[in-house]
Amino acid sequence: METEPRIVAFLCNWCSYAGADLAGTSRIRYAPNVRPIRVMCSGRVDPSFIVNAFEAGADGVLVTGCHPGDCHYVSGNLKAEKRMKSTARILDLLGLGSERLRLEWVSTSEGAKFAQVVTDFTEDLRRMEPNPLETEFNAKSPVNAEDLISKVIRKTNVQYCLECGKCSGSCPISKVNDAYSPRRTVERFLLGFGSKVLSGPDLWTCLTCFTCTERCPSDIRYPEFVRACRRIASDEVMEELCAHRGIPMALSRVMTNPSVRQERMGWLPEQAEISQKGELLYFVGCLPYFDVVFEDLNLELLKIPRSVVKILNRVGIKPVVLANEKCCGHDLSWTGDLENFEKLARMNVAEIKKAGATRVVTACPECYRTLKKDYPELLGNLDFEVLHVSEFLSELIDRGELRYDAKLPAKMVYQDACRLGRHMGIYEPPRKVIAHIPGVELVEMGRNRENSVCCGVSAWLSCNKYSKAVQIDRLIEAKATGADLLVTACPKCQIHWKCVTSEKLPVNPEDVKIEIRDLSVVVAEAMHLA
Amino acid sequence: MKVNNSVLVIGGGIAGMQASLDLASRGFRVYLVERNPSIGGRMVQLDKTFPTMDCSICIVAPKMIECFRNPNITLLTYSEVQEVNGSVGNFTVKILKKPRFVIEERCTGCGMCAQHCPVEVHNEFDMDLGIRKAIYIPLPQAVPLKYTIDNENCVKCDLCQKVCGAEAVDFNQQPQTISLDVGAIVVATGFELFDARTRSEYGYGRFQNVLVSLEFERLLSASGPIGGHIVRLSDGRIPRRIAFIQCVGSRSLKGGVSFCSSACCMYATKESVLIREHEPECEVYIFYNDLKVFGKGFQDFVARAEDDWGVRYVRALPGEVVEDSKTGDLTLWYEDTTENTTRSIQADLVVLCPALIPRATSKDLASVLGLELDEYGFFKSKDAQFAPVDTNVPGVFICGYCQGPKDIPESVAQASAAAARAAEVIAQGNEGVH
Amino acid sequence: MKRAEDNAPRIGVFVCHCGINIGGVVDVPQVVEYAKTLPNVVYAEDNLYTCSSEGISKIKEGIGRYNLDRIIVASCTPRTHEPLFRAACEEAGLNKYLFEMANIRDQCSWPHLHEPEKATEKAKDLVRMAVAKAGLLKPLVEPEIDVTPSTLVIGGGISGMTAALCLANQGFRVCIVEKESELGGRLKQLHKLYPTLVNASKGLDQISGAVKANRNIDVLTSTLIKQVKGFIGNFEVDVQRGNGETAKFEVGTIIVATGTDVLEPVGMYGYGEHSNVLTQLQLETLLRDGKLEMPQRVVMVQCVGSREEKGRTYCSRVCCMTALKNAMLIKESHPRTDVHLLFRDLQTYGGHYEDYRRMAQDMGVKFIKYSLEKPPQVFPKEDGRLDVSVYHALLGEEINLETDLLVLSTPLIQCEDAKKLSHMLKIPIGPDGFFLEAHVKLRPIDFATDGIYVCGTAHSPKDTAESVSQALGVASRAAIPLAMKHMRTEAITAMVDENLCSGCGTCVKICPYSAIAKDEKGVARVTEVLCKGCGTCGASCPEKAITMRHFTDDQVIAQALAAVRRELA
Repeated sequence: METEPRIVAFLCNWCSYAGADLAGTSRIRYAPNVRPIRVMCSGRVDPSFIVNAFEAGADGVLVTGCHPGDCHYVSGNLKAEKRMKSTARILDLLGLGSERLRLEWVSTSEGAKFAQVVTDFTEDLRRMEPNPLETEFNAKSPVNAEDLISKVIRKTNVQYCLECGKCSGSCPISKVNDAYSPRRTVERFLLGFGSKVLSGPDLWTCLTCFTCTERCPSDIRYPEFVRACRRIASDEVMEELCAHRGIPMALSRVMTNPSVRQERMGWLPEQAEISQKGELLYFVGCLPYFDVVFEDLNLELLKIPRSVVKILNRVGIKPVVLANEKCCGHDLSWTGDLENFEKLARMNVAEIKKAGATRVVTACPECYRTLKKDYPELLGNLDFEVLHVSEFLSELIDRGELRYDAKLPAKMVYQDACRLGRHMGIYEPPRKVIAHIPGVELVEMGRNRENSVCCGVSAWLSCNKYSKAVQIDRLIEAKATGADLLVTACPKCQIHWKCVTSEKLPVNPEDVKIEIRDLSVVVAEAMHLA
Repeated sequence: MKVNNSVLVIGGGIAGMQASLDLASRGFRVYLVERNPSIGGRMVQLDKTFPTMDCSICIVAPKMIECFRNPNITLLTYSEVQEVNGSVGNFTVKILKKPRFVIEERCTGCGMCAQHCPVEVHNEFDMDLGIRKAIYIPLPQAVPLKYTIDNENCVKCDLCQKVCGAEAVDFNQQPQTISLDVGAIVVATGFELFDARTRSEYGYGRFQNVLVSLEFERLLSASGPIGGHIVRLSDGRIPRRIAFIQCVGSRSLKGGVSFCSSACCMYATKESVLIREHEPECEVYIFYNDLKVFGKGFQDFVARAEDDWGVRYVRALPGEVVEDSKTGDLTLWYEDTTENTTRSIQADLVVLCPALIPRATSKDLASVLGLELDEYGFFKSKDAQFAPVDTNVPGVFICGYCQGPKDIPESVAQASAAAARAAEVIAQGNEGVH
Repeated sequence: MKRAEDNAPRIGVFVCHCGINIGGVVDVPQVVEYAKTLPNVVYAEDNLYTCSSEGISKIKEGIGRYNLDRIIVASCTPRTHEPLFRAACEEAGLNKYLFEMANIRDQCSWPHLHEPEKATEKAKDLVRMAVAKAGLLKPLVEPEIDVTPSTLVIGGGISGMTAALCLANQGFRVCIVEKESELGGRLKQLHKLYPTLVNASKGLDQISGAVKANRNIDVLTSTLIKQVKGFIGNFEVDVQRGNGETAKFEVGTIIVATGTDVLEPVGMYGYGEHSNVLTQLQLETLLRDGKLEMPQRVVMVQCVGSREEKGRTYCSRVCCMTALKNAMLIKESHPRTDVHLLFRDLQTYGGHYEDYRRMAQDMGVKFIKYSLEKPPQVFPKEDGRLDVSVYHALLGEEINLETDLLVLSTPLIQCEDAKKLSHMLKIPIGPDGFFLEAHVKLRPIDFATDGIYVCGTAHSPKDTAESVSQALGVASRAAIPLAMKHMRTEAITAMVDENLCSGCGTCVKICPYSAIAKDEKGVARVTEVLCKGCGTCGASCPEKAITMRHFTDDQVIAQALAAVRRELA
């Protein structure tokens, strides 16, 4: 690269930092490109530190710790090793390259080693392209808060509030969190006390599940109101409340840089047939990333896109899979980062158009809603149709083109994901697809369709004891139907539920233990494509 | 030009009956057309009425009988208006008298036929909670007290014909078209209930112990399907707690109608007091939004319900009702503003107060009469302020709930108003002859 | 069929179950059996619903088959059902006054719901009392009178004028007596009417023009009613004109359309102390005359002096809509002005009023709910503005509003001179101060006194459209006697046994209707058409010379004895 590479280094206090000091006292020279940050243990290094560093424009990140067995904190360095492995995979997926991340063991006495590591790393980085990223954090264009609030109050019907309380009585979070009341929040905004709300947690607590909207007699679209106000709400509070260190959002932001060339095809099964151009495009979503971030949950998330492609191939379709697919931007659009959302939207639409696709199928309800509803609102009419995979499969069933070869004798219960159900009105196609499988008895939870209960977390926000309570309650309900399998059409539902059941539960595990599988995966099984 | 001094009254509820009686008392000939086999309307379905807690059938039965006995009133029950031609002072009306398959002049109302009829069907009068036979009278105090055969469910076994002492059963009866000349028309067709199943969060239609108000009213009625004992239909148990949910489908910009039905806060209070009277151990909650206490005596009634009868008012509409499928018990979720928390409450029975809406058949009647409907489906007043009972068609007047939400005293007063206008236009047509 | 009166009466007793209202508490078959043991009872039966057409038929049948000449129905209250059963008797050829009721429901099975045995005993006693009286009943004749074909309308506001015009158009003569110098009533003070926002003056001009032009209507403005005598069909009215002249005329029916006053909330929320605290009516007038200076903020408080815990407990119905309307008018002309509405329960009932509220919300009117227990408080500031502090019932917080203008929505209240009118016409006033109708459901715009009707806000608070409906309603009611031209009056009147009368004149003095006078022989004579049947004369006469038909001393005493002494059975 023409410019000098910039390296951010995380040095553990007991070994590596001392080692670096020794290099200095010994006057051993090494490249001045490194910027050390002292941490007590290499185990302290959070993947989000690394991602943020790269987002800010670092060309390389170095993590050093004690040699295995020597860790001052027993095994912190081993944990670091594991984390660095998955972070490296993410960097590969992002196309930044895992070579930019280096983990080295440097002990107190290895001053020379430290210098060598830095020099080598700098040399290697010089041979690479500079980091194309240079995100300015929180660079939102200024907005007149009062204007925005009064406009959105009108747009979402908030001014018609009757104070009837149906919203608070319907909200899954309200039921478990005394402090949270959509009714009171609305009243505060109407009376001009919105600034208090903007600097508090309430706006980030809303699941945007649309249950209140479904029931509000005044047709108030509260989640849309919340969404618009998040633009001007406190970012600090959001960061506090955002789970997984904001990594998913960071990844989405990284993808806005056009120079980023992701590795988007690695998940494809061997015999998969895809095309670069074609009528039907399969929009994968961020599953490859989630597969890494949530690898500890053993979700086998990549089974989902693999199942979809296999199914499509079986019915004679070679879908387009974009090599440069970006995150649809759902989480950014729901957390107030509209500038970056727009960038992603434009990029995705351009790619889809370039591929010549007239139909886009996705297996993720969030991508579905975003592409089908939010993209046209932002960019005008799209020239392609957007379908959820269940809609597509339902069409095939109607035309007699979907053959189920296997019998899956099981009682199955279906969860209506918020983004598919209440947001977009798709209730029956997934049920049709499941019920059609030979041997399947489809049962329903008491609260189904428009009364379905959210999986408890949205856009990674406010994951806390309240969301856990909601999740456990819902799983108990699912288990109580007597079903063998809980089928979901949304990978996020699956992730959140698996996450809560892998923790220590405040209830009898038998009450919530139920196998959860994605709709596409179940269908693939029924077609002997597993 | 000589105008006809007969008046057609469409609808035999309290408003239609009052208008008929006013006109008949002063010598006009009145044709009272009612689509059901008996007049009486909604009032006969009620147990008591607010705010005085009068027994409803007791105060309306004399009016029904009066309509029957009055020589100036011709009752055309089980009939519908098919066609209207002409103009004010000279309308020609075609009425379709549906066949009862019972000869009205011969039927004594003895009931032998129903005793022997083998067919049991749900009784619409009891909101499908009770049973009647295929040959039936809708209620014991039916006026006229003549039996009717429900052709859809009749199995033509002929038993009724065999046992009828008056030889009143006639399976060959044909629909009859009756042609009438009248000078004015009064429309008093009342209301129906909003379909509460569309508010799926409350479980009506799925949960056995969630009822709508009119169903509950029939259960409460001494003459209803369970004789006025308050029990749950699912298991016959006496409820320990009953919850009313107001505004189901009312005041809504979506999933309902935008107006306030005006009577529900009060009738819920009335039903609550009745519950507390019958079962002092049963707790009653009314979940409301704005308590509509604007009428004469309403606020005092609510105060009595609260202070004397212990009815509890909670200012929150529940978000949802959940059922325990094993017990049929219900859980309501609502936001309690006094404790600032969203909480749940168990109830054995939930009564929904659905919006009271214009009848679906109003559209047909409007087109027959040439009447305009307003944006809610009510018949439109010529001038909302100064001519509330007049319509866009001179000589056709409206009164009661079909003109807009109102309670019984207002319906009665407005019925007299429509009668006054009808009398006025006829008198003016006849140059002051009254 | 009718037996000669000095033969033993043949009494028939019909005991009603009234579904389970009576039958569920009182042992009706036991009562029937007991009735059969009573003197002169030749027939007794029970009915499920005596008031049904089946029950009525049984009564008529019984009269014919068993030659009954006295009928007793033991069921509900005579107040609603006496006319029905009397008519049944008449149709069967029996004089309708040979009928008596025993109230074993409203006054027996219902109040004694939890003591069925005692209720049954009481029911038996009540039947015994009725039998005792029935045995002494005599057939009575209702005198027929002519009806003066004209109506007096007291009050020339929108209600009075609407009623008058409707009657006049049917060919009846009407006289409107209005105490002010001009017709129009409250509407004269109003600006625009909700929900159509038509100018009050427009509707008013139209109708008062029609009234003045109508040949059948006499308008007496600046006129007060001095005295009303008489009875339905024959009222004598004395009035006093503004110039001191008196006039007298006769009418057949009277319509009370006297409207209301508006409460001045002296001492509440700073009214009377600060010039920027107004009532809605005062605001209305300011708006109409275009005299409202642009305030930065207006706060309106609902339920001021109404819906109280004690005192004026009623809701005045029109204030929420009036406040909404005025709030919207302010926002329309002064969009920057902040309007806050402090309410308890928003009375937006009926067809259009909810949409009205949404329009106000669209215009940015702010709503704050407060509760009865924590009403708003007003503190004056040095600069003349006011601090209004309100506890928001939902947010659970105290909110402070600095305001330029505080508008209080106060209730409509009965007029000062209502009591006088009440005495004059013998029309009662209800617990909320408004005139009390004959029956809340069945006769909402009639008074118990025949021939007098009520409409408009004099009955209870209501808006223009509702007043017009009621006014047309009374036009129908008031026209009935006029149209019939003749009426039969009550037969229950006082009668004098001239042989016993000593001419002391006590009854003459004591009669509230001045229905008794001494005739040329010096004995008391009753003008039956004036007599309202109260019976106070009978109670005062030292000679027992005057008594009440249908409530003779013998009959009443027989009932009293039968109440106590079971062995009389």
